[in-house]
Amino acid sequence: MSRDPTDAEPAGAPAGSPDDVLRVRNLTTRFFTEEGQVNAVEGVDFDVRDGEVFGIVGESGSGKSVTALSVIDLVESPGRITDGEVWYREPDLAAEFEDDVPAAVDGEFVDVRRLPEGVRRSLRGPSFSMIFQDPMSSLNPSVTVGEQIAEAVEVQRRASANPRRTRSRTQGYGLGRLLVDTLVPGRGYTSEASEARAVELLEQVGIPDPAERADEYPHQFSGGMLQRAMVAQALAGEPDVLIADEPTTALDVTIQAQILNLLRDLQAEQDTSVVMITHDLGVIARMCQRVGVMYAGQVVERGTLADVFDDPVHPYTEGLLGSIPDMDEPASRLEPIEGNVPSLLDSEMGERCYFADRCPKAMEDCLRPIPMYDAEGSDEHETRCVLAVEEYDEAAALPDGYFESEPDSASESGSADDPAAGEEVSTGD
Amino acid sequence: MAYGRFLLKRGLQGVLVVWGVVTVVFGLRFITPGNPVNAVAPLDASPELRQRIAEELGLNRPVYVQYADYIWELLHGDMGYSYISSIDASTIVLSKLPATLELAVASTVVAIVLSIPLGVVSATRRHEPADYAATSFSLVGISTPNFWLGIMLVLLLSVELNLFPTSGRAFGFYRSFELLFAEGVGAFWAAITGWLWHIALPAVTLGTYFTALVTRLTRSGMLDELGKQYVRATRAKGLPETLVRYRHALKNTLIPVVTVLGLQMGTLIGGAVITEAVFSWPGLGTTLINAINARDWPIIQGTLIVIGVGFVLVNVLVDALYAYLDPQVVE
Repeated sequence: MSRDPTDAEPAGAPAGSPDDVLRVRNLTTRFFTEEGQVNAVEGVDFDVRDGEVFGIVGESGSGKSVTALSVIDLVESPGRITDGEVWYREPDLAAEFEDDVPAAVDGEFVDVRRLPEGVRRSLRGPSFSMIFQDPMSSLNPSVTVGEQIAEAVEVQRRASANPRRTRSRTQGYGLGRLLVDTLVPGRGYTSEASEARAVELLEQVGIPDPAERADEYPHQFSGGMLQRAMVAQALAGEPDVLIADEPTTALDVTIQAQILNLLRDLQAEQDTSVVMITHDLGVIARMCQRVGVMYAGQVVERGTLADVFDDPVHPYTEGLLGSIPDMDEPASRLEPIEGNVPSLLDSEMGERCYFADRCPKAMEDCLRPIPMYDAEGSDEHETRCVLAVEEYDEAAALPDGYFESEPDSASESGSADDPAAGEEVSTGD
Repeated sequence: MAYGRFLLKRGLQGVLVVWGVVTVVFGLRFITPGNPVNAVAPLDASPELRQRIAEELGLNRPVYVQYADYIWELLHGDMGYSYISSIDASTIVLSKLPATLELAVASTVVAIVLSIPLGVVSATRRHEPADYAATSFSLVGISTPNFWLGIMLVLLLSVELNLFPTSGRAFGFYRSFELLFAEGVGAFWAAITGWLWHIALPAVTLGTYFTALVTRLTRSGMLDELGKQYVRATRAKGLPETLVRYRHALKNTLIPVVTVLGLQMGTLIGGAVITEAVFSWPGLGTTLINAINARDWPIIQGTLIVIGVGFVLVNVLVDALYAYLDPQVVE
């Protein structure tokens, strides 16, 4: 990971653990809406290691889903990734682009964001894959489940038929090919081998009578079965990184546990890295080795599971932990975090810690942009809070109602109306 | 299996609707002014003569007997005898049917060929010049009345530039094929190009509104589908964009489009009256207008029933296609 001092661009992969498969740095995604610019994701950094489950936790509207979509380059208009790097460890890809796009390559790492669009697209499926929140709406209602999984298998088969030449995989599947495949009987995008593999995958995710179920349509599946099918589809490409965006939120509690177990088993079996996005700390505790806490588009605390759960520094993390019921001490009252997620409208975001207006320990020092500080615990424990470096000082505390009197921002906190937040809120968690 | 049962159910419903149409058409005669006897009897006919004519026509029998008789005859393909035109109503109605079907199918083909690609291009290049061109076209197309467009096309392309004939049908599509077997390829070719040449303007006239409508429908449907979660999921699994757009999004867009296409085609079978009049196209519309003017009841009834049956038939076919496209309908 040597830095090349002659390159004008801030080139080179950032430092990190040698096990990293993904290093995301300063990822910034904005939505340019009619109400103004919405900073859905702002300078997010995180690493994902080989074969681990990395958790991202936060409230609805904290930018978790947009972060996930930004990593696999699926942000849609009016959203746009405005800054940041996504370094992905893939030696073959690095070798291929070493000469053409030197700024995008460092050792075994490639900055996916600097690769041509066609190449980025070709990474979806075989390299990155995603499971979505609501399985019902994430499958096409008019195509059989088996066929949809077979498509994912086919993508991977066509890609691996030519593993070393990424560019050849990006050659489009044009309208002419589609017409021929549609009109000539016995031809199609998916091959019989892919369809057979789809049935195997359905069996692998625990769907009974997979051969028959493969010919059924999504509306003939239950929610839990459908999410299993989604898992099968996401794993069909044997991805290096699987992003699971609230994979259990739309499901019954009993089914949730089954899906989580399934994910964990398959993850261990295939040694895939998983980014688990959820608002549910229980899921994080159960699945993840390391975790990042997101608030208002930023990672506010990051570390191992023990760092974040046992030794939280950021009052937001403390608040999240305080708002889950504790079975051992049922007497103690739950302590919800006061207030709402802030508006992410650029015009309404001040130059300060975004949590300060809800923070029980807000001080005068919080009225400036806060960098990431090292915190106690493991080497990896970091937090975006001044409490990591100074003690809470009653004398410097902001008076109650300080933000209500703030002229520009505090009066309107219509965060539910902004699209980035609305997207998550509407799906009902 | 489920699909076969679905089709059977729809078919039976169609038969019921046709029965309703026949009943209404039969009943119409009793609530419209004008005694059918007048059509046959001379102006100075004596009451006795009129009585005899009524008896001969079966008009003195109870209504339910007349009704049963009428249905019985219809089932045998007999729509009654037109004394005014001195011909069997079924003969004249069926001889006019091909011209109307040709026009309906031709304008639908014009509409499909133009509208779906236009709508898709418009949706996938939203807010680009191609989109603006397509939406402007559909706005103009929807707001232009048929008769005006037809007259303008005739004036410009037929009268001024002399590119197309002003009216008529020449040989029909079907008769062109008769020529193929009777007189060989040369005659067939001449006949079929003549037919195309004659049908071009009426088909464009009738198809323009239709094209505009379906373009809009395709555009908005496609935009709607492309915004759905499954499209994002399909992209996430790495499927080529061509397949995402056409195999997934377009297929779902076509479900409502097929319905509208079918319903519109149903109305075209009976509703091309104005266009047929502008181009003197010898179809059912022209026949119906003439028959109404002459109070030629058997032909009015026959035409209405054929239009009704055509409409029902098209709808059943649309339902069948709809169920094929959207598997949820079958249940």
